[in-house]
Parts: sequence; C-alpha cells; structure tokens
Amino acid sequence: MRRLNSVWRGLLLLAVGGMIGYGIGLGLDLLVTGALNYSGSVASAFALLVSVTAFFFGIYGYRGITRGLVWQVVGTLLGGFFVTGIRALLGSDTIFGTFFFSEPAWVFGALTGVVTFMFGVGVVADWVKWARGIDTPEHHEDEPGGGKYLDVSLDHKVIGIQYTVTALVLIAIGGTFALIFRTELAASQLQFLTTTFKLFNQTGPQFYNTIMSLHGIIMIISILLGISGIMNYAVPFLVGAHDMAFPRLNAFAYWISVPASVLLLMSLVLGGFDTGWTGYPPLSARAPVGMQMFFLGVFTAGWSSILGSLNVIATVVRMRAKGMSAMRLPIFVWASVATSIIALTATQLIGLSFQLVMFQRLFGMGFFDAAKGGNPVLFQHLFWFYSHPAVYVFVLPGLGIISELLPVFVRKPLFGYRWVAMSSLGIALVGFTVWAHHMFTSGMNEYLRVPFMYSTLLVAVPTGVKFFSWVATIWGGKITTPTPMLFVLGAIIVFLLGGLTGPPNAAIALDLHLHDTYFIVGHFHDTIFGGFIFPFFAAIYFWFPKATGRRMNEFWGKVHFWLMTPSFFVLTLGMMVIGLRGMRRRIVDYDPALGFDFTHLLMTIAGFLIALSVLIFVINLFHSIRHGEKAEGNVWNSRSPEWQVPSPMPVHNYDVPFEVVGEPYDYGLADSKYVQFNGHQGEKHPVTAEGAQH
Amino acid sequence: MNHTQEKKSMLSQGIIIFIYLAVLTGLEFFIAVSFNSVPLLVVVALVKAGLVVYYYMHIYKLNLESEKDDKSYNYKAGTNRLGLWLFLVSDSFVFGGLMVMRVNLLGLSRPELNQLLGLGVTAVLLVSSFFMNRGETMIHNGDRRGFLNNTLITFILGLGFLLGVVLVEWRIAIHEGITPDSGVAGAAFFMMTGMHAFHVFTGLILLAIIWFNGRRGLYDARNYPVEAAAVYWHFVDVVWIFFYPALYLIGTAVR
Repeated sequence: MRRLNSVWRGLLLLAVGGMIGYGIGLGLDLLVTGALNYSGSVASAFALLVSVTAFFFGIYGYRGITRGLVWQVVGTLLGGFFVTGIRALLGSDTIFGTFFFSEPAWVFGALTGVVTFMFGVGVVADWVKWARGIDTPEHHEDEPGGGKYLDVSLDHKVIGIQYTVTALVLIAIGGTFALIFRTELAASQLQFLTTTFKLFNQTGPQFYNTIMSLHGIIMIISILLGISGIMNYAVPFLVGAHDMAFPRLNAFAYWISVPASVLLLMSLVLGGFDTGWTGYPPLSARAPVGMQMFFLGVFTAGWSSILGSLNVIATVVRMRAKGMSAMRLPIFVWASVATSIIALTATQLIGLSFQLVMFQRLFGMGFFDAAKGGNPVLFQHLFWFYSHPAVYVFVLPGLGIISELLPVFVRKPLFGYRWVAMSSLGIALVGFTVWAHHMFTSGMNEYLRVPFMYSTLLVAVPTGVKFFSWVATIWGGKITTPTPMLFVLGAIIVFLLGGLTGPPNAAIALDLHLHDTYFIVGHFHDTIFGGFIFPFFAAIYFWFPKATGRRMNEFWGKVHFWLMTPSFFVLTLGMMVIGLRGMRRRIVDYDPALGFDFTHLLMTIAGFLIALSVLIFVINLFHSIRHGEKAEGNVWNSRSPEWQVPSPMPVHNYDVPFEVVGEPYDYGLADSKYVQFNGHQGEKHPVTAEGAQH
Repeated sequence: MNHTQEKKSMLSQGIIIFIYLAVLTGLEFFIAVSFNSVPLLVVVALVKAGLVVYYYMHIYKLNLESEKDDKSYNYKAGTNRLGLWLFLVSDSFVFGGLMVMRVNLLGLSRPELNQLLGLGVTAVLLVSSFFMNRGETMIHNGDRRGFLNNTLITFILGLGFLLGVVLVEWRIAIHEGITPDSGVAGAAFFMMTGMHAFHVFTGLILLAIIWFNGRRGLYDARNYPVEAAAVYWHFVDVVWIFFYPALYLIGTAVR
C-alpha cells in the first residue's frame, strides 16, 4: 500500500513540478526577452528538469538519484550563470541567447551539472575520503528492499539491474520517438508534423529531424547500458568473483549515464538538432544549442562505457576462480572481453571528434571548417573509427549470450568452443580496420575504398564461424523451447538476415546505390535486433530467476515473442524493399508517386505491434518480481556455477568458492562436471575491512 | 646484492636514464634545426618514450607474479596497476586521435612558435619526471623526507610547465597572431596543448594529494598511490615527448 502511495505522490509531484518549472522558465524568459513565449524552449527545459526531479523526490525522498538530480539542476544553473556573469563583465554582445543562456553558458552549465550530479548522488564520496587520507570499508552493505536500486550501491548485481532498468527506460523513450515519426511516415505528405506545427522552438519537419536523431542516439546509449547491465550482472559470478575488480568505479560508470541521459533529453527542448545521430559537420557546426547537449550527452555516456569495460577486463584478468583457464571461460565472458577491448579504446575517438566540433562551435577553431583550412572528412574518419566498431560492441555480448544459452536448451556441448571464443576476438580486431566503408560516398581518397571493402567482407568470416557453431550445436540436440530459447532462436534467424544483408553494403558498387537508403536502415535494425535486442530479452528471461527467485510468466513471454518477431520481419523487410527501390533514409516525407505509402503503413502498424509486445514484456517483468512462480533452484538445469547456488544470488555471490574441474559446455556427457564447490561448508566469504584503495 | 646497494642502484638508474633522455632531447633539437628528418625525429621520440615507459613507469611490474591470496594488499595493488594501465591505453587513444588530426590538417607544416620557450618547457617537464622517479624510489626505500621533497619539486616544476604553456606560450602565440580561430595551425596547437595541459593539471592534483597524505604519514608499506600518481605523471611526460616534436620541430613553420 505504501508503495502505491509513493507512486501517486511521485506522479502528483511530477505534475506540480512540471508546472513550477514551466513557470520559472517562463519568468526567466520574460525577464530576458521581454515577451511571454508559451511554447518556448526555456520553459520546457525547466519543466523537464524540475518535474523529473520532483517525480523521484515523491517516490523516494531526498536520497540517491533525487539528490543527484537536484544537484544537477542547481549545478547547471550555477555553471550557466557563472559564464553568463563573466560574459556580462567582459561586455560581450550576447549575454543571453535564444534559449535563455548563451551557448557557452549552456555547455559549461551542462558540464557542471554532470559533475555536481556525481557529487550529489554520492558516488565519489569514498574517493574524496581516500584523497583526504581517510580509510573506508571495502564494502558498504545495502539496505534490504527496493531502495538500494535508486541509491549508490557497490554490488555488481544491483548495478547490473540498475543498468538494465535504465536501458529499458531509454528503450521506451527512444521507441516512443520512433512511434511518433513512424506515424508521420505512415502516409506521404505531412500529416501532423507540418510546417505550422510548433514545439520547443521547432517546426514539424525540424521536430521530426530531432526525434529521428534522438531515436538513434538514445537507442545506442540504451544498448550500451543494456550490454553493460548484462555484463555487470553476469561476468563476476560466471568467473567466480565476489564483485567487479573496482566496485566504486563500477558504480561511477553507471551513475554517469544518468546525467548523460538527461543531457540527451535536454537537447530535445533546446532547439533540437537535425544532423541524425552521426552529427557530421558542417551541419552540426551550425545546428541549435541542442547539438551541444547531444555532444555532451554522448561524451558523458562514453565515459560510462570506457570505465565499465576497463572494469570488465580487469575483473576477468584478475578475479577468476581457481582452475578457470582461458579455454574454460564461459563464452559470454570471452565476448564481454572482446567487446570491452573495443569500448575501452575506440570510444575515446567519438568523444574526441565530438569535442572538436564543440570547440569549433565555441571558439571558432577550424578543424572541420574548409574556409579555415579544415577537413570535414577528418571528422568522419575519427567518428567512424569508434562508431563502426561500436556495432560490434553492441552485438558481441548478444552473440555471446546466444552461444552461452544454446547448449543449455539443446542439452549438447557447444560445437567448436575454441573457434567461437576466438571468433569474438577476431570480430573485435577486424572491426578496427573497417570504419571507412561508411564513407564510400563521402569524397575520401578513392584508393582507400578497395582495402576497406575487403576488410569489411572479412568480418563475415569470424561471424560465419559463430553461425556454423550454432547450427552444429542445435543439430541432433534435444531441443526445448521455453521463452529464453525462443528468443535465442529468433536472434539467430534475425541476425542471419542482418548478416546476409551486410556484404552487399560492403561492396563498393552496390553501396553507391544503397548508401543512405532504407536498405541500410533495415540492415542495421536486423543486426541490432538479432545481435542485441533478442539476446537481451533472452538474457533477462534466463537470469530473471537468478535475480529475483521467481520466474517470468511463460505464457506472456511467448506472446511477447510471437508478437514481436513477425512484426519485426514486416518492419525490416519493408524497409529493405523500399530501400532498394530508392527510399531515402532520415527524411520526413516522400513522393506519393514512388508508391511506398502502403509499405510505410504496414511498417508503422508493425512498429506499434513491436511496442505493444515490449509493453507486455515490461508488465510481465514488473508483475513477476512479486507474483511470479517461485524458482529458487536450477530452473534451466544449467552447468554454470551461478545456478548451483540458490536464487536469488547471495550478496557476495559464492559463500563457498568453487574450482573449475571440467569443460563448461559438456551437456549430455555422463560424469562430466564443470565446477566443484569445495572448502568448508557454511564458511562465509570473508569480507575484510582491508580496502583496495592504497 | 644487499639492500642498501639495491636502493642506491635504483636511484642511480634514475639518474642515468635522465641523462639519456636529456641527451636525446638535445639530439632531437639538433636534428630538427640541422636537417629536419621526420623519420629520425619519430625514432628518437619512440626511444625516449620507450625509456620512460620501461624505466620510469615500470611497465614490467604488470608481469609481476603476485601473491595467490587475492585479499592481500599486494594482489589488490596489482589489480589497480592493471586498471591504471588500461586507463592509460584508453587515454592514449585521445592523444593518438589528436596526432591524427594534426597530421591530417597540417601535414609537414607547423605553427610558428617560440623555439626557445618550447625547449624550455620540455626540459622542465623532463626534469620533473626525473624528480618524480626519485620521489617514488625513495618512498619505496622508506625515505619519507626525500619522497616529500622530491614530490614537492616535481609539483613546482609541473606547475611551471603548466603556467609556461598556458600563460606564457599561449599569450605569445596569440600576440604573434596564432589564435584558436586563426586557422587550422592555431586550432591544432591550442587543442593539443590544451588537452595536454588539462592532463598536467589533473596530474598536479594527484601530486598534491600524495604530498599532503605523505606528510600526514601515509604510504609506509601501502604506497601504491604514490606509484599510481608517478605512473600517471610519467604518462603525461610521454605524451609531451610526442607532442613536442609534432608541434615545434617537424616540417616548416607557417603562420
């Protein structure tokens, strides 16, 4: 009953906070511009900031995330006014801008906001103490109950769930944007995003551009958080560690993604941006202030990815259980390491490329400004050096999940363990050499095209190894199809479609025709759904009993699958068909004479059905936390160590350490054991006060 | 070798390496002014960086067989060491990206800068690395006073470098007409020195932290933080080993 009350209180405060924020913004805007601008951005920005904060305040009180958000709002304002004050003192012409603060003030304010969020939420408190020479206990015990999920926790399982839930929230937001613009695209001509439409200082087509771009980037961030969620949750207990190598860094990496998400949403109300998620200059050098919020949001979220992957690598290298040699690691751990190698290194370059555009906008530095001798194509090189390997960051953990779960549900050993383990590393390494295939039409030097075509085609080799392994593993197995297995099988088929449509894009001659068409859009939605979304759902259905001690509802899980999969095929096959026939991507409208109206209508309906299926999933998820069927034992009859201990997982994972004595995937072989729990029964994993801090 | 000798040899190793680095820096400058060969400058920079990475940053410590007890301080220090090096790998991609930017935009030209000042700040940073190594060696040997003095010298030299770049060098450059918005040469110069200066600044914060904590008596046996700050400081030096020839030495100067 108390829970219900707190949700109502949250919603009430959401409404009240929204109105108060709107009022503040309206007042400030009036003060500066001298006119009441009801649909202006400033009022909306304040309404957004204050209402989100008030919502969590109502549910949770002034702790954890709420304190962080309040500090972020205050920090943003302080930083903004600081720069505004300096500009006023220097006698600058533009003390205030279109969006209340001038652009430098917004950028500085947003940065201050991120920093103050981290202090407010309390995730840096221990580091500050260490810097002052004060010791802290290695672990802070979490309070029981749900409160720990909204506060700083150092437990990798809590952080994993925080990541996963944040990813789901972002998927919901990004999906909502997709539904809005898919509705507009359902028929040719402008229906509701018309030129007279006005929202957040944007006309309908501009608003379309903004939400189309935000759909891209928010989905990408949600994928990064989603894989971090599964890796954080599963990697430590798969390798037999009691936590990640650096628990505080882990918490930091999660929490920095929250202000990053807020920044991305702020870009929507601060004039938006119309570059797509790629942010190519010169267009991004002159888009509204929202562009800067987008850059800063991605930059901040990038730190989450970098620090998270650093942690994963250190954990796998240093914290494995006894006997867990490289060739006995679970495949998912191999995939996580491969993905982390890319995320650790390449992410810096998207951060750098975005910083360069930010500085170009702020200080007139001419990196990508041809008039000053700059080179816009340089941006594309720096950007794609991350952003192409990034897709392997997205899919490798998912492919690892497929290989991890498949043997459990076919009761057969994984075929070609070594090859599969190495194929992940292979994809990661080849992935570093393919970036310029995004630039065949960009006017880069022509002699670069052919090598990049071949390196791109080379990616199909290690990916093919995975497919052979999956098919051979399924061959002759005793297949059962509970919901996680359905999603694994769905992932294989969808990813196959995505994989087969890849090489045509890599071939230069075809790419010149396919570039920037819906064919590309269809291709990457296939790879991402097959490589991330399906395995992500499979992983949630699979490890849900481990996290909660209950199962998710099988019936609704199957409804989710059978609703989502066919709709998804309609959506992407539709995209590819009209793409081949010349439908340009990223545009708000298309010529009715092209005859794409019916396909677009079908795709829009399919999009709504996918949204419905995800809604069913979310309801199933939250309902099952309390009311699911009890499942405290080894529900899936898995050999993996985490299923040999009762669910939900104990706080420090294994009370008794285990030793690896066999191969991980020898399902169906008599007398084969993967792990053996030895040591004295009942001995608690000792938790020492001795910190890792010195 | 007995203990005292070992202590002494570590200190003298630091001195020898510093002499190598100083000679190489002089050689670098000589190559640049006399026959300006880019491949030779790259080789010298790589040798310098290799010396710092091996002898000052002790990259071989990553390979140390640590104790089996994963609750021990040494085991955790080993994990932290790996984490720090992973971070440095990640960070070097930023600087690598800046280098790519510089080569792509400027090719074999460079901004016309004050050569004497450039050599001066480079020397200051190099000397600071030497004192950092001395300080770190001394706390390992249990010499707290020596550690504090050397860290303080490092801090002062580091601050000198930072102010030399940001207050003097930038001001001179702007006066000479090389501003952030004057063209790509200015943009590359300010971006690269600015990013490096930011890292120097964070390094100074770390130095201040270990100095204050060292004065309060921390780091007797548990002196990993000193090692971490030192490795980070040397990393900043390594970056400058590449940035200095890239900005001051190679190619011909343009305005």
